[in-house]
Amino acid sequence: MTTTSHPGRHASADDPRVLLDDEIGVFGTVPPYPPRTEREAEFYTLGDGQMFLNMGPQHPSTHGVLRIVLKLDGEKVVDLDPVLGYLHRGVEKLCENADYHQVISQVDPLEYVSSLFCEWSPVMAFEKLLDVDVPRRAEYIRVLSGELNRIASHALFMGWFALDLGGLTPILWSFIERDEIVEMLAALTGQRMLFNYFRIGGVNGDLNHDFMSRLGDWMSRATGQIEANLTLLNQNEIFVRRARGLGVVDTETALAMCMTGPNLRATGSPFDVRRAHPYSIYPELDFDIPTRTEGDSLARYLLRMEEIKQSLRIIDQCLHQMPDGPIMAKLPRLLRPRPGRAYAAIEGPRGQYATYAISDGTDQPFRMRIHDPSFVHLQSVGLLMRGDLIADCMAIMASLDPVMGGVDK
Amino acid sequence: MTAVSRAWGRLTLPGRIVFTLVPLLAVLGAGLVALIVLFGGTAADLILANLGFVRFLAAATIILVITIPIAFLNIYLEMKVIALMNLRVGPDRVGPWGSLLSVVHGLKVLIKEDFTPTAADPIVFTWAPVVTYAAAVMTLLVLPFAPGLYGQDFNIGLLYFFAVGGMGVVGLLMGGWSSFNKYSLLGGLRSAAQIVSYEIPLTLSVVGLLILAGTMSLNQIVQQQSGWFTDWFVFRQPLGFVIFFIAATAEANRTPFDLTEADSEIVAGFATEYSGMRFGFFFFAEYVNVFILSALAAVLFLGGWNAPFPFPALSIPLYPGSLGIPLLFLIALVPIIGTLALAAPFYLARSSMRWWVALIIGFVLFNVVAGGLTFAWAYVSFDWVAGLVWFMAKTFGFVFVFVWMRGTLPRVRIDQLMGFAWKWLLPAALLNLFVTAAAVVIVGS
Repeated sequence: MTTTSHPGRHASADDPRVLLDDEIGVFGTVPPYPPRTEREAEFYTLGDGQMFLNMGPQHPSTHGVLRIVLKLDGEKVVDLDPVLGYLHRGVEKLCENADYHQVISQVDPLEYVSSLFCEWSPVMAFEKLLDVDVPRRAEYIRVLSGELNRIASHALFMGWFALDLGGLTPILWSFIERDEIVEMLAALTGQRMLFNYFRIGGVNGDLNHDFMSRLGDWMSRATGQIEANLTLLNQNEIFVRRARGLGVVDTETALAMCMTGPNLRATGSPFDVRRAHPYSIYPELDFDIPTRTEGDSLARYLLRMEEIKQSLRIIDQCLHQMPDGPIMAKLPRLLRPRPGRAYAAIEGPRGQYATYAISDGTDQPFRMRIHDPSFVHLQSVGLLMRGDLIADCMAIMASLDPVMGGVDK
Repeated sequence: MTAVSRAWGRLTLPGRIVFTLVPLLAVLGAGLVALIVLFGGTAADLILANLGFVRFLAAATIILVITIPIAFLNIYLEMKVIALMNLRVGPDRVGPWGSLLSVVHGLKVLIKEDFTPTAADPIVFTWAPVVTYAAAVMTLLVLPFAPGLYGQDFNIGLLYFFAVGGMGVVGLLMGGWSSFNKYSLLGGLRSAAQIVSYEIPLTLSVVGLLILAGTMSLNQIVQQQSGWFTDWFVFRQPLGFVIFFIAATAEANRTPFDLTEADSEIVAGFATEYSGMRFGFFFFAEYVNVFILSALAAVLFLGGWNAPFPFPALSIPLYPGSLGIPLLFLIALVPIIGTLALAAPFYLARSSMRWWVALIIGFVLFNVVAGGLTFAWAYVSFDWVAGLVWFMAKTFGFVFVFVWMRGTLPRVRIDQLMGFAWKWLLPAALLNLFVTAAAVVIVGS
């Protein structure tokens, strides 16, 4: 494409003509700075017939503000470079400048589709710092609401995954389940997404009538509805053919890439924090850890759907075994744990959420590190997507189920 | 002048409109009458002398205009049906059951900014939607809607259909290339690869049918399927029908073959940089294409305008002219008597019914009954009304299937798409062709 020069016109940096006249051109190097690392230099050198495609951060299906620079050969992805940080808020630093109670509201929006789990691990770490015994009723309520949130998150995953494979309907069907759960949790916690419900030493409010009636109503038909939603996809030949063999990862690679949760269990390793490092009341509950051996996107999808059923089992047991008693431990208003350090990990819908907190004896954590599974899983996209087609990029990413709020923190 | 301007200033807006329009219409009407008186004879002679050409002009204009309501109807159908499949309500605000929403969409598209990217090739960028839309509209010219209701009866109608319909991909490719956007480029290339690949099974799937029919004229193909529905070609060419339908789905860029505008992969494909009415043309062309391919499927395989069973030859000896003066009384009295007669039961049955509510109900009912009777009379008396009804029913049946697939199926991958066309559809189409040819030879000899 030839261009004419415009002598009288002020050349703006946004004007593509400026780039066109440039010898590198728009199809050349993407970053305007010289390469900083060897990897960057290698990545931003185009081979014969290759081109860059900038996917995101405003692409319709990158699950938030992830940006992936793809190096393409035709439709095939030769190499890719995920660019993070568009949603960075500095949550860990914010937490270090808030007192222990305020931390809970800071970590809430990390993974906004499963906020209860983001609250759970810091709360557990602080309880270890403070040596608090959480009342059993509070633990039961935590598990009950957490498993509900897990189902909501997995239902959303099902919809997004199908949407990224081009199906319009599943997301709207699965949103029905998610919406009922979210409304139910809103009746319990007061919020639909950012619950701010767990407290150090317990939970914020006891089970109420609104929540219980909604829960009972939903539980009576949940299994049937989820099965109905699954028939939409599980027996769909196009869906199965596209998801099978997509983004295959074996157990060793998965462990080397620090994968946890459903993504790891889909490769055959039965690692689940609820069983491997039991916490809360999970040792008393009877549930299975589903595993699959294929390690592909379809296995990750089917595994999550199996986990929904296990979560329903757990909820059922929680409702039957729910003890009476207080929902909060007796604690002073201002918390000053003795100096020390604590680590707490829980099993969330995406994998292992963990918090490492250091106390220096003041009312604020001296240092707080949040381990988020989304961030860890996202580092393996380069491994999984290379050699696949553009069409599969988003599907592979969706099958890992990252949430950008947690990735960028 | 002051008196005139003062009088004008006192007028309300409707008054000003009336005072502007009435003289204008009077002048125009007088001019028209004068033109007809002066040149009417010559014009009539000219039209009669060139009847074929005038007919072509009229047909071209009508099919161009008729694409707009067809596209509106398809868009509304898609919005509403997919909404119901998604367990949503869908459009329900504008018009009855939201049926005017697609019209509003059309107006919205018209008033949006028509943006051209700086680095785009402006000429190609502007003409791309025109080419796509023109290709879609021009294929309508040979479609037989009903007996006597078609644009042109070509003896190579089917060939013309595929030749002109295949031109649409040129527009997509032009749009994809000229937008100066990598997503558009990918979309354009995908559409070229996909449509060129699927043209082959699409064309081959009907060759068996052509052997049976012995003609390429769509009109004659339809006429050969008259009689009972067992005479439809779908029962003689079932494999051909399946191949045709799958290939047509790919040709129309519909789910599960909508790779050219896969929103989760390449944003909006070739239409990424388009906005305003230029995007509207692409959008319209897509829905007109859906209608056209559904209509072609109905014409080729489901008997077109033919009813599924031979309709007993009825004729209603209704000659209104023979009644003379009493006809005028009938026209004056029947609506009133009918309205009153239909309103009376409602008024009598419920004591709380106001008389004017009953009258409104009676009036509406009378209109329904009168409309139904008129329709029944037209259906029996005119071939083309009956034909159009059956044609539209079959066509929109296919449109519904297209929409249904869009609501249910995910998208295939590009390698699966190409593999399916070349490894499965093409051999199947060839098999269908050879089996048909062999059967014709054996039965014929």
